[in-house]
Amino acid sequence: MAESVDDERLVEKFHRGDESAFDRIIERYSAEIAVLANRLLGWPGDVEDVTQDTFLAAFLGLKKFRCECSLRTWLFTITINKCRSYRYKRMLRLRRPSQPVEVPSSAPHRAADRTSIDSETFDQVRRAVRALPARYREPVVLMYLQALPTDQVAQVLGINKNTLQVRLNRARKRLKHDLAQLMENDL
Amino acid sequence: MTEDRIENLLGQADRTAGPPAPVSVNLSAVRRRAGRSRAVRTVGSGAIAAALLITLGIWAHRSTIPQAAQEQQKIASLEDQVRQLQVTTDAALKLIHEVIEDERKQRRLDELQAQLAGIPDPREEIQKQIDKTAFTLVYQADRLYYELNRTDSAVEAYNHVIMFFPKNRWADVARERLDDIENAKL
Repeated sequence: MAESVDDERLVEKFHRGDESAFDRIIERYSAEIAVLANRLLGWPGDVEDVTQDTFLAAFLGLKKFRCECSLRTWLFTITINKCRSYRYKRMLRLRRPSQPVEVPSSAPHRAADRTSIDSETFDQVRRAVRALPARYREPVVLMYLQALPTDQVAQVLGINKNTLQVRLNRARKRLKHDLAQLMENDL
Repeated sequence: MTEDRIENLLGQADRTAGPPAPVSVNLSAVRRRAGRSRAVRTVGSGAIAAALLITLGIWAHRSTIPQAAQEQQKIASLEDQVRQLQVTTDAALKLIHEVIEDERKQRRLDELQAQLAGIPDPREEIQKQIDKTAFTLVYQADRLYYELNRTDSAVEAYNHVIMFFPKNRWADVARERLDDIENAKL
C-alpha cells in the first residue's frame, strides 16, 4: 500500500514537471520489468531493448496516466504490449514456421547425472511455455511466475476473470500434453 | 499433473534459466530516446502532412487536367459536328439551288415552247398567201370575162395565174376557164 502511495506521488511529481521522479520509477521497476520481459519472451536472457522500449513508452505516456490502476500494473501492460510487438517483429524477421516442442522419444538415461536431467527437464518446460500461443503464455507467466493475483492479471491483460480462467485451463491442458513425458518419468 | 505441480515445474524452470542480463536504463537515455521519438513523430507528421498535401495537389492537378482535356475534347468533337453539319447544310443548299434553277429553266423552256407553239407556220402562211393571190387573180379574170365581157384581158389574167402559180389548184381552175373560152370561140 505504501509502495502504491509512493508511486502516486512519483507520478504527481512527474506531472508537475519533475522528470527526476521517472528516475525513481526506473530504479524501482526496471529489474522487475526485465524479468517479466525475459519470461514473456521465453528466457532469451537479453531483454535490454524491450525494457528500454517499455520505459520509453512509459516516459512518453506517463503524463496521460491517471492512476486508475497501479503504476506496476500499467508498466506490466506496457511490457506485455512491447513483448508482443517484439515477438511479432522477430517472427516477421525470421519468417520461420513455428516448430513443435521437441520432446525426446526416449527417457533420459537413468545413469546420467541428476543435474543434467534437471537441466534438460526444465529446458523442456521452458520450451513448452515458449510454444504456447501468446494468449495462453501471458496468463501463465503472470499467474505462476510473476505471482500476480487473478484480478491484476485480468486487468493487465485487459480481459475478465472468466476469460482468464478459460485461458489458464487451456494453457494447463497444453502444458500437460506437451510435458506428458515428464509426467511419466516423474511417476 | 496438478496445478501445483505445473506451478512448481514452471518456477523451477524459471529459476534454472537464471536472471536476465542486467539492463542499464537511465533517465537521460530514456529522455534522449523520447526526444528522438518526438522529433521523429513531429517530422513524420510533417512529412505525412506534406506527402498528403502533395498527393492531394497532384490528385487535384490530375483531376483538373483530365477535366480540361475532356472539355477540350468535347469542344473539338462539337466543332467537328458543327463542321459536318455545315458541310451537310451547304450540300443541301447547293442541291436546293440546283433544283430551283432546273425548275426555273424548265418553266422558261415551257414558256418558250408555248410561244413557239403560238407562232404560225410560215410555209403554211406563204401557201395561204399564194392561194389567196391565185384566187384573187382568178376572181378578177372571171369578172372580166363574165361581167365585163373582156375576153382578152380575162385570158391574160388566167395565163398569169397559170404562169405564176402553176401547181396551185387555182391554176387548174384557170386552165378550165381557158378551155371553156376556147370551146366558146369554136
